[in-house]
Amino acid sequence: MPLSRRRRARLLRGGQYAVLAAAVLVLALVADWGTLRHAFFDVAVAKALFPDIITTALVNTVLYTLLGFGFGLGLGLVLALMRLSQVPPYRWLAVTYIEFFRGVPALLVFIALGFGVPLAFEVALDMNITVMLSLGLVGAAYMAETIRAGIQAVPKGQTEAARSLGMSSGRAMRSIVIPQAFRIVLPPLTNELILLTKDSSLVYLLGLSLGQFELANFGRDALNEHKSLTPILVAGLLYLVITLPLGQLVRRLEARTAKAR
Amino acid sequence: MSATAALVAAAALLATGCTSTKSGGAAGEKSASGVQLVSPGTLKTCTHLPYAPFQVKKEGKIVGFDVDLVDLVAKALNVPQEIVNTPFEGIETGQDFTIRKCDLAAAGMTITAKRDKVMDFSDPYFDATQALITKKGGTYKKIEDLKGKKLGYQKATTGAEYAKKHGAGVELVEFEDLGLLLTAVKSGQVDAGINDNGVLFDYVKQNPDTAVTAEFDTGEHYGIGVRTGNDALRKKINEVLKKARSDGSYERIYKKWFGTAPKQG
Repeated sequence: MPLSRRRRARLLRGGQYAVLAAAVLVLALVADWGTLRHAFFDVAVAKALFPDIITTALVNTVLYTLLGFGFGLGLGLVLALMRLSQVPPYRWLAVTYIEFFRGVPALLVFIALGFGVPLAFEVALDMNITVMLSLGLVGAAYMAETIRAGIQAVPKGQTEAARSLGMSSGRAMRSIVIPQAFRIVLPPLTNELILLTKDSSLVYLLGLSLGQFELANFGRDALNEHKSLTPILVAGLLYLVITLPLGQLVRRLEARTAKAR
Repeated sequence: MSATAALVAAAALLATGCTSTKSGGAAGEKSASGVQLVSPGTLKTCTHLPYAPFQVKKEGKIVGFDVDLVDLVAKALNVPQEIVNTPFEGIETGQDFTIRKCDLAAAGMTITAKRDKVMDFSDPYFDATQALITKKGGTYKKIEDLKGKKLGYQKATTGAEYAKKHGAGVELVEFEDLGLLLTAVKSGQVDAGINDNGVLFDYVKQNPDTAVTAEFDTGEHYGIGVRTGNDALRKKINEVLKKARSDGSYERIYKKWFGTAPKQG
């Protein structure tokens, strides 16, 4: 007897729910809850992490991220304009840069900058500057592509109208196109901010004194001190404290952009 | 063109964050003893956490045997000690000195010919050998017993070299720091771990479900590293070490961290 389409769909969905429920049940039965609680939810250990994990680690994570994001945004804008430039060498330069920094792991960029720049130029870079550069260079490659797409998404008529009002091409770019493009790229840029927040954990490669520890490093260190995974969980939750509101913001911005169209 | 303007701004930003490190440059100042510090007014120590009981973070402070010893040096120079936690390969390759990250490295580091090429060492301040750690009930007496099993080692350490040299047929697993290595031994990800005896004995004291089953007499000595040619600081460290051994403060620090008196030798 053939099933009606609706019944088949309902059966399929019911099957999926059953599989999910079974998986949860198996996990719950298999896991060793006592050990898990001791490993991940040791309240005494969690208490010992505060207030430092907020006042030092969380603050530093936000600081490093903002430094990298600010620098990356500025450089990304420059690169985007270079990619759209009439001058071929500018275009080549921008494409080369973007392909390179999009293609190498951030970890290697950190090592190359942290050691390479001081060795090559015999300068000792300030820690914050190194973080800003490493995170910013990686972020800039992604942001450049995002901004370029945003600029190209602004209708051609806008530029033509601005030019016919007698604006120079640079002026039209600055006052008409970029502001509109910026509005379009706000959601993907916020996504980039979330990515950079997580990448800021690579700062440990540069060498940190106590006041410079950020969340991931702080958590790893506390894991060794307390022989419990609780600090990792707490650090993870604190990353979410930063990234979840940003995710909300992305959705809001996207809704607003959709309305504006 | 706005692009050029932004580039110029970025370059200016860069310039403000740089300080010259050419000797005789703006960075560093000579104290009375002729010791030049990378950042005036503090003695910067590079280390790689965690390495209990030599260097470890406890209750928001970095403490340990090495910390107390270097504090004596800092006291002699009349400056506070600041500790920088940095990946061990940066210390071990001498790069951290080259880029003026620190004045000295105290990281439970064995004096080896290879390392001596890229930095200068103080006189030995601690004797060490390599040891094997396994979960309780492990019977590995030598590396060869681990054939077909997993042996964990820590990146860029003498234990790593020992394991690679003697570990034919053993599956070697590399870890970035001691904490991760010991966690892997405890959780059974690896069958055994190799590292310096001092840190392993400290760990099994607090983790009775693990045991040290073997020691390989490699006759290693820890030294404090300084940048190649930084004789003023090296001499100062040696002076302080010598004084500490003669006035009993070395013995006091040793007892504090190891619970026993140092072996005479």
